[in-house]
Amino acid sequence: MSLLALTAIIFYFNLITFGNGPVMIPLLQQRLVDQAHVLTFDQLLYAFAIGRVTPGQANVYVTAIGYFLFGLPGALLATAAIQLPGYAMLPLVHLHERFRQVAHVRRFIRGLTATSVGLILAATVGIGRETLTTVSAVVVFGLTFIMGYVLKWNPILSIAIATAIGLALYYLTS
Amino acid sequence: MDRQKSNKGRNDEMKQASALEIGLRDLFVIFFRAGLAFGGGLGILAVLEDEFVAKRKAFTHDEFLAMYGIGRIVPSGTMTALAVAFGQRFGGFLGTVVALSGLVLPALILTILLTLAYQLVQGTGAFTAVEVTILPAALAFIVVAAFRLGKEILRLSPELLLAAGAFVGLFFFKINPALLLLAGGLAGAIVLACTEKGGKDK
Repeated sequence: MSLLALTAIIFYFNLITFGNGPVMIPLLQQRLVDQAHVLTFDQLLYAFAIGRVTPGQANVYVTAIGYFLFGLPGALLATAAIQLPGYAMLPLVHLHERFRQVAHVRRFIRGLTATSVGLILAATVGIGRETLTTVSAVVVFGLTFIMGYVLKWNPILSIAIATAIGLALYYLTS
Repeated sequence: MDRQKSNKGRNDEMKQASALEIGLRDLFVIFFRAGLAFGGGLGILAVLEDEFVAKRKAFTHDEFLAMYGIGRIVPSGTMTALAVAFGQRFGGFLGTVVALSGLVLPALILTILLTLAYQLVQGTGAFTAVEVTILPAALAFIVVAAFRLGKEILRLSPELLLAAGAFVGLFFFKINPALLLLAGGLAGAIVLACTEKGGKDK
């Protein structure tokens, strides 16, 4: 895969997911991990984790994917590719007062969101079978889910606590 | 550019608000600050509102919310769309580049450093630690994101059918997820238009 092809893929995926980071996961997994074999499950997951613990927009995790594949040029082009569709804002700002299609767009996005939920869950089941192979991995997964979804703690705290417990478990059991 | 200093009461302030100019340097600083915010889009939004509405009174609260509303239907991250809109307003095309750069720079630098760290650890014994800790945690983050997205639709609704259909299509039939996504969006636009005829939605 060339740098240009990667940039085009990221541009396209970001565009059709409306810049939603998690929704890009199933798309990237299918295209880069399953089809092209240029990225591993581990790298994809690690990239996503980075997006959660760094400040700023969460979809900037594609920067890490660009870096994994092509170093600094990959990182920069991947980042630029997800910013570019933002320029669609300019005509919309001018048109929005008489932009009657907005209701359709809104419903399109609702359909997109619903579909995304199914896609993300399908992808996580697939990735989970590769990743959740040890007891400590399953415990870390469960704890992080509870801290993130039920307790709504911030990702850095969740990942720090889950990681510490996971490490302790891993060294105790091996 | 120093006009904003006078404070003569509400009316004057409003007039100045529309004439207020923000230089490229300030634009960069504002968006760099926003890019340092944690909590994704909403964290960034809070900083932007503080800078543009509360501090500088460049927009009224309603104008700001209207911009946010339009930004949500732009096919990019919503904050990316806002950076383009505010960058254009205060600095033309150059302004958009400056605003976007400021916004992504903190995340860009940290992401590259953390990716480097991964590559250093990869292949060494310490990598096992990453495999049993950070990777399962990342998977949990993805599931959390899906559940949050799905919170609204996890009840009997046309949307739940779309979600279930997408799951089956990708997991069992390995249909191209990009195609599923576009089909789901179109189905939403058509089906939801019919179900909304009841008139509860505005």
